[in-house]
Amino acid sequence: MSVRPIEVRILRCRPGRIDPPRFQSFRIDAKEDLTVLDALEHIRLTLDGSLMYRHSCHHSSCGTCACRVNGMERLACTTRLLDLGAGTVSLEPLRGFECVGDLAVQTEPFYRDIDPAWSCLKPAGPIGGAETGTEQGLQRFEECIECGCCVSACPATRSHPDFMGPAALAAIRNEMLKNPLAADDLLSRAGSERGERWCERALACSRVCPTGVYPSRHIADLRDELKGPRST
Amino acid sequence: MGGFEHILIIGGGVGGALAHDLALRGYRVTLVEKGELLSGTTGRHHGLLHSGARYVLHDPEAARECWQENQILRRIAPQAIEPNGGLFVALDERDQSFYGRFVDRCRSIGIPAQPLSGAQAIRMEPALNPTLQGAVLVPDAGMDAWRLPMHFFATARANGAEIRNFTEVTALRMTGRTVAGVDVLDHRTQGIASIGADLVVNAAGPWSGRVAAMAGVRIPLQLGPGVMVSVRGRLTQRVINRLQPAGEGDILVPQRGLSILGTTAWLADDPDAVAVPPDHVQRLFELGRTLVPEVGRLKPLAVWSACRPLLRSQAAADPYRISRSFDCFDHAPRDGVEGLITLIGGKATTLRAMAEKAADLVDRKTGRSIACRTRETMLLPYRCFWRRA
Repeated sequence: MSVRPIEVRILRCRPGRIDPPRFQSFRIDAKEDLTVLDALEHIRLTLDGSLMYRHSCHHSSCGTCACRVNGMERLACTTRLLDLGAGTVSLEPLRGFECVGDLAVQTEPFYRDIDPAWSCLKPAGPIGGAETGTEQGLQRFEECIECGCCVSACPATRSHPDFMGPAALAAIRNEMLKNPLAADDLLSRAGSERGERWCERALACSRVCPTGVYPSRHIADLRDELKGPRST
Repeated sequence: MGGFEHILIIGGGVGGALAHDLALRGYRVTLVEKGELLSGTTGRHHGLLHSGARYVLHDPEAARECWQENQILRRIAPQAIEPNGGLFVALDERDQSFYGRFVDRCRSIGIPAQPLSGAQAIRMEPALNPTLQGAVLVPDAGMDAWRLPMHFFATARANGAEIRNFTEVTALRMTGRTVAGVDVLDHRTQGIASIGADLVVNAAGPWSGRVAAMAGVRIPLQLGPGVMVSVRGRLTQRVINRLQPAGEGDILVPQRGLSILGTTAWLADDPDAVAVPPDHVQRLFELGRTLVPEVGRLKPLAVWSACRPLLRSQAAADPYRISRSFDCFDHAPRDGVEGLITLIGGKATTLRAMAEKAADLVDRKTGRSIACRTRETMLLPYRCFWRRA
């Protein structure tokens, strides 16, 4: 297994203390399967116990460890250092969220426009090789893991802080599909002054989404529905 | 905020369920966690909501606990569960030799167990190894390892519990032989503070030995880390288990668009040094491929380890045989240290029951007798945690 020395530059921040934020470099020997999250754990446990970052599941299910890796929103747990192809890797917190310390951000604003009551489950899709219909009655979690990558990457959320952002719009669209009785109300939220109108069609949300939600497609669907009388 | 004694919980894993239980009982609750909530063991498992069937062959007590808690969690946190069932598959003669006993024991405990022929199982899950000889359908389920316990945190906070992440306990405050609170380092402000409490509950999982040591006491904790691997692709609808006594690489848990292979187990001493032994990944792929051949064609998306805080047993040195049951200790009669309780063992599926037992002990310590209400109290959706009134 190959090992390469990597310089990990982390944007250190403590509001009011390490402020403005500044980069600090750590040198680590990265084996080929070492992830950004493994590196953060190693740095915290052996080099600097004050390092703050969020993590929980370590396999792209919880969405807590999202950060910007070399300027691109990614999950730390599934990003391998050596796959990044550079001797230096820069880590910064997500944009559009208040930093509470280093890479850890305050996620409350993410949920401002996502109703807690909206369902996290949807009917299961089919599985390769299965007879059609055998998935009936089965359920699956929504793909969105609420990591915040799309919000951080979206240029419109930066220029219009009131914009509810791509994750909330995708959540609205998914809830409309599952809850037709509430569809009109949900659509009006998407059409509100904090809604779809601010989308700049940059598609950054879909590019960075780690679980294939493709928020921009949901936003396009909402835009179509908002344009004319509902076709269904 | 409850008006009874102030209970301070160390550990943001199972402690979330305890904060919920104690808040419902009317206690004033503060929970401190050194990192993000659920960044230890509780948030890091493969996502199985046990039916209990995994334990029927060797640990009927754990099986019974799991089945009871499975039904309760489906009721109080339905949005955190993919309720699709699980199959125990018999691949060879040895597996078949357990089949009758497995079904009988499931039924004697009350776990629904539906025998299936190999052909029936393949129709349900076409990705299964086509050589399978038979299977049993049980009410296993997938759970979101982050979102299910976050339901408890959300509800506890709404009921007045103070939940403080990134707040690390650096010492127990002792008045003689009584624990009177904790000193904490707030990683946000890098400030040190003291928090007084009437009772401290050590629910620090793999780190609970270190907390107990701060009071000069030892606890029967055995660390049993394990490795898990996730692959991209939803290979099955249901959880797939090997119909054998619990062992390594005996499960595939699908969730969202992933499939998770678990697990291995070994014994360790240091909760912070649980590097993944490289051969474990290969073993998981080899064993996973015998359940679902497609696994052999996939590459790992994530490889990680989690450290089980097991209840040490004199009887079992094999990490697969150490009971997954739990216990809590009052250190006053046991060690002569007043004001401290330790909760260890257990598993994510039984987090509510662990909390109930610890809260009952808190009641006894405070001289109260308050009925536990967590079995029937619907939890708030986890997103409420970030939607503070």
